[in-house]
Amino acid sequence: MSDSTRFALATGLALLALLAVPWILRNDYYLHLFIVSLIFVVVALGLNLIVGYVGQLSLAHAAFFALGAYVSALLFLKLKWSMWIGLPAAALLTGITAFALGWVILRVRGHRFVIITVAFSEIMKLVATNWVDLTRGFMGLPGLQIPALSLPGLGAIDVSSKERFYYVVLAAAALSFYLCYRIVRSSVGRAFVLVRENEVLAESLGISAFRYCMIAFVVGAALAGAAGALYGHYVGFVSPDLFNFSYITIMLIMVILGGKGTLIGPVLGAVLFTFLPELLRDAAHYRMLIFAVILVLATLFMPRGIIFPLVEHLVPRRWRTRHVRTA
Amino acid sequence: MSALLEAREVSVRFGGLTALRDVNLAASAGEVLSVIGPNGAGKTTLFNAITGRIRPTQGAILFKGRPIHREPAFRIAQMGVVRTFQKTEVFGPLSLAEGVLAGALARGDTDPEARAREALETVGLQGKAHLRADQLSYGDQRLLEIAQALAAMPQVLLLDEPASGMNHQESAHIVRLIGELRTQGFAIVLVEHNMHVVMTISDRVMVLNYGETIAQGRPAEVRADPRVIEAYLGVQKTDAVAG
Repeated sequence: MSDSTRFALATGLALLALLAVPWILRNDYYLHLFIVSLIFVVVALGLNLIVGYVGQLSLAHAAFFALGAYVSALLFLKLKWSMWIGLPAAALLTGITAFALGWVILRVRGHRFVIITVAFSEIMKLVATNWVDLTRGFMGLPGLQIPALSLPGLGAIDVSSKERFYYVVLAAAALSFYLCYRIVRSSVGRAFVLVRENEVLAESLGISAFRYCMIAFVVGAALAGAAGALYGHYVGFVSPDLFNFSYITIMLIMVILGGKGTLIGPVLGAVLFTFLPELLRDAAHYRMLIFAVILVLATLFMPRGIIFPLVEHLVPRRWRTRHVRTA
Repeated sequence: MSALLEAREVSVRFGGLTALRDVNLAASAGEVLSVIGPNGAGKTTLFNAITGRIRPTQGAILFKGRPIHREPAFRIAQMGVVRTFQKTEVFGPLSLAEGVLAGALARGDTDPEARAREALETVGLQGKAHLRADQLSYGDQRLLEIAQALAAMPQVLLLDEPASGMNHQESAHIVRLIGELRTQGFAIVLVEHNMHVVMTISDRVMVLNYGETIAQGRPAEVRADPRVIEAYLGVQKTDAVAG
């Protein structure tokens, strides 16, 4: 069986299991966690293109996520545009913003790149906080809804319940996964890895590091923007808190401890690190302390992410796909 | 024969330090031009200027008569001027097959895998295509660098000390390989300290000292040039007597 067939089979099985979640799980709280984790799957897949595949540590991702949430929220509240238009609009505008930012910052590397992405996030937060006429500042934008989804031949489908919105975010996560899969398996994805492994050499052989970093940066940001739109409409409220540093921290944890530079790692990371803090709630005040200890141990003993020890212990060598073996 | 690659009056200055001063160079298809000189003479700086890693402070670099000295490194490589490095550069954790793909991908080859296989065969590494690049011996990594460059379909190949650190057998292999590449029509510019390799394979030799060209000509002419003996070869002569 070829790598692609195995990968398609495993993905298909996982998708089937995920489709059954609302039928098996008759618990609103856990369903909520699944919805949030699937939204973060979209975010983590996008961040993985930048951090995992081209190797640039961008701290602007949470800002793109928040920007997407604000774009869709403002279109919904000010122009009465449906979320179904706001969602692609958020992805598009976030992608354009990333292109403009990338045009400047992708010419620098290392700490300068990181610092500029932090500065961008802070500027975006200041704008969201201080442009009160538009964003209502700290009061945020309440009243977001999930409108009915109109599909040709099926009419308007109400997807506002958790059970139904779960399938919306599952579709978004599956589409994002497929998009990233196609990119990673294409010549573009191969160039990503070559740039990550040795940028100077890749350039000397004719690969434009700037071009491929830009592709990863824009696609990654657009995915974050789309996820932000989904998140804003799901929780019904958007505020400048979305720009907080804690968001980019958890996004990086999902990608790096999940297994950066692989497709499955960030997906597992997004699910695990959405559920884990919640499952530790019984530990009351010690919850975040235990979470921190788990993170430190995982970083020390699984530096390449949880995906590698998982695959090494659970999947026979001949069943492993190229990406988990070599990334 | 008109030169594929030309450097005209190229100077490179880093602040107050002049690394290259008014250097001229011309390399034609099917020719091996060696650039020699003591450490710090400006040989690698010349390679960096030709391949777009640094911009010349003055002068021009032309490929097929077209100025390339303001182009970025990747575009110069896409045009057909490709280099290897003094300090070995490979795609460490990737397999040889994956790393050699780089050049073919950059040139938009319709069958990059076939191009990569062909490049590995040319240097004799086809049997190790599945290995990680960082698992290879130093000598094989040097050959891999040449394979990486060949997959980019260059017309001008700049080899920066390809035989450094190699034993006699490996050096002989490099000499044979460069000879084959010359017969295939590549213009080869070679920076090398191994004088046996230089004198065996070169059609012309250019000598740099403190960033200036002090001699240029056929190997025998350059070897007999008193300025070259004083600046560079004299050291080897002493070694040979001592040995």
